[in-house]
Amino acid sequence: MSSMYAVEAIDVHKRFTGKDGEVDAVRGVSLGIERGEVFGFLGPNGAGKSTTVRMLTTLMTITAGRALVGGLDVAGDPHGVRRRIGVALQEAGLDPRQTGRELLVLQGRLFGLSKTDAAARAADLLDLVEMVDAADRRIGGYSGGMKRRLDLASALVHQPDVLFLDAPTTGLDPASRLTVWDEVRRINERGTTVFLTTQYLEEADQLCGRLAIIDGGRIVREGSPSALKSELRARLALDADPTLDEVFMDATGRNRARVAGDVQEV
Amino acid sequence: MKDSLILGGRAAREALRTPDSLFPSVFIPLFFLVVNVGQTARIFPTDSTDFLRGQSYAAFQLPSSLLLSASFGAAALYLVEEIEGGYFDKLRATPIPRMAIIGGRLWAELIKTAVLAAVMVAVSLPFGIRIESGVLGFLLLIVMVAMWGVVFAGFMQLIAIKTRSAAATQGASLVFFPLLFLTPNFVPRNLLTRPMEIAATLNPVTYIMEAVRTLVLDGFEWTALGRGFLVIAVTGAIMLALSVRLVNNYD
Repeated sequence: MSSMYAVEAIDVHKRFTGKDGEVDAVRGVSLGIERGEVFGFLGPNGAGKSTTVRMLTTLMTITAGRALVGGLDVAGDPHGVRRRIGVALQEAGLDPRQTGRELLVLQGRLFGLSKTDAAARAADLLDLVEMVDAADRRIGGYSGGMKRRLDLASALVHQPDVLFLDAPTTGLDPASRLTVWDEVRRINERGTTVFLTTQYLEEADQLCGRLAIIDGGRIVREGSPSALKSELRARLALDADPTLDEVFMDATGRNRARVAGDVQEV
Repeated sequence: MKDSLILGGRAAREALRTPDSLFPSVFIPLFFLVVNVGQTARIFPTDSTDFLRGQSYAAFQLPSSLLLSASFGAAALYLVEEIEGGYFDKLRATPIPRMAIIGGRLWAELIKTAVLAAVMVAVSLPFGIRIESGVLGFLLLIVMVAMWGVVFAGFMQLIAIKTRSAAATQGASLVFFPLLFLTPNFVPRNLLTRPMEIAATLNPVTYIMEAVRTLVLDGFEWTALGRGFLVIAVTGAIMLALSVRLVNNYD
């Protein structure tokens, strides 16, 4: 069904039940991401971005609705989905006691590669992310940028069809951020679909062909950055195209006000 | 199985790279052995204490120290660290059975506990302790202690996955101390006071301790050994069943 999409979400919901009652974190998200796209998923803190990614990557159950990744049902065939996706989550989840090379070889082995093939693939990826010199050092001693690049490499070990990147540049300095952007572009040029969540609007503007803005668990805008800007310009009768920041503020109902001399988001 | 062995190799490498985490597993049980024997050995002289079977009181105490050592595994704490750091999710996003993630650490725990138990027995031998059941009994002793180490580590991992908290996991490991002392730790069960005898009889750790002790003092006493292995099999089966359920429903 709907195999024209690399990722498709159909009215996906996520409800958490905790001590304080029930929370609807995602409320009917529907998306269709075409093969080869770099798709941006934006939203303020707590909007439901990471929860949506975790559902699409089989890390969290879907309360209601349906999701397909690589043409496979996320709930019905999670193992099949995992073979087709690469995942780099917000925390750059790495084992600090392994070396970069060991981590990549292990990842390859878990995706079914032989020892020899996994070692060769690890060497290729270390080259791709320009970490050959640090390959045999323990990850615990890497900088934040190196960890992000290694995390990216580990998500590519099995040459996935779809790469999920959850806030891949959070906490990085500008130089490391640009390096990650270059990696993402290179990966996409090789034909991999990229699903990217970010809080940095400039990042979305630079990298994404299309994006969606989620707020309060619902998609509130969807389209190409230029189309979203044009729509806002026309709707507000502006003289020039607004920035993506302004589109974001408009979509999420937030604006900035000067309160007691400071600019605050309200 | 293949995936859990691959992950077991990683966990074993991790243990070798953090030797400081192995130190308490040897030092604290040996410390208790020395202190307990030092304080009570004169109460139980070898020549007039039947239950020592001609050995020193240290031989009677050795099983307690071995079981204490087996309960010092850091596997659950490493697991919590991985949950908090995101590597657990990275592994969950691979196409391996999720139980392999738990199983990998248990394989490493089996090897680590066996090696540490062998070291502790080797350290004890110069102090006049002998393994009455011989080389075969020594091997059986190591297997039994290592298997108990796996079961205990498995339960600690369950707590780690359930709570996702290092503090809660570390606190839960202290549960073992009452369990270890509600046993025929200092004297055989028939010499305990009635309430303690009842508590020890209800405590599964008692049967593992008695099985290990019989290998040290008596030789092959199959009833005690059978009970010990039965306790390990039953608690191990419960641990595995709960682990499968918990890790497969982890959200």
